[in-house]
Amino acid sequence: MSPLEKRAWLTLWSQCPPYLVYFLIQAAWPDWLTTFQQRIACLAVVAGVHAIAYVTGLLWMKRQEQGEPLLLDERDRAIDGCATRTAYFVMLTGMIVVGVVMPFSDSGWKITNTALLAIVLAETVRYALIVAGYRRTPRLAH
Amino acid sequence: MPTESLSNEVRLLRFLAQDMTQAELGRRVGLTRQTIAAIEQGRYSPSLEVAFRIADVFGKRLDEVFHWNPGDGGDASAVPTP
Repeated sequence: MSPLEKRAWLTLWSQCPPYLVYFLIQAAWPDWLTTFQQRIACLAVVAGVHAIAYVTGLLWMKRQEQGEPLLLDERDRAIDGCATRTAYFVMLTGMIVVGVVMPFSDSGWKITNTALLAIVLAETVRYALIVAGYRRTPRLAH
Repeated sequence: MPTESLSNEVRLLRFLAQDMTQAELGRRVGLTRQTIAAIEQGRYSPSLEVAFRIADVFGKRLDEVFHWNPGDGGDASAVPTP
């Protein structure tokens, strides 16, 4: 498996579960967390779980690679570029919703959570497309 | 729908070059082992520069290593008229 694909899998596995739980809690029980401190604490726990899972996975991966540097060739860059371009449009759409539409209809944590959702979604799309790219590489990706 | 494909002799040439490994070929042309495997399996078409480098490693011309098989969409020998 390519080093980039390994990192993509690591990002997906470390990022998706904690944020999925976070957004499910926000959607199912919006009144469960009432104060600012509670909401920030919840977000901090989710971000912490993500960070710990990612760093642990990265250290394990580095150990497996025995200090070899992450070398990307033209195929890796083509797959990464294609995925990043698509994720950029996801992020752009999210930011338009958050910055242009929502200020006139919503406020507070709803805007914050939507912005966070856009970022997580863009990252997820990017890394999911990288993983998919190694399975169905466009024959002329460059 | 046109069904073009690019085939290559990289696997055979590696075998003839004292069974050169994919990693070794990758190192010499600046690709990862996984990309060499993808090229051999026809899952990835390298850039022209890399294709020339691969041919150079085996001391062959480009058209001895890579073959373009035009499908319904064109004729490889066709030359556009001015």
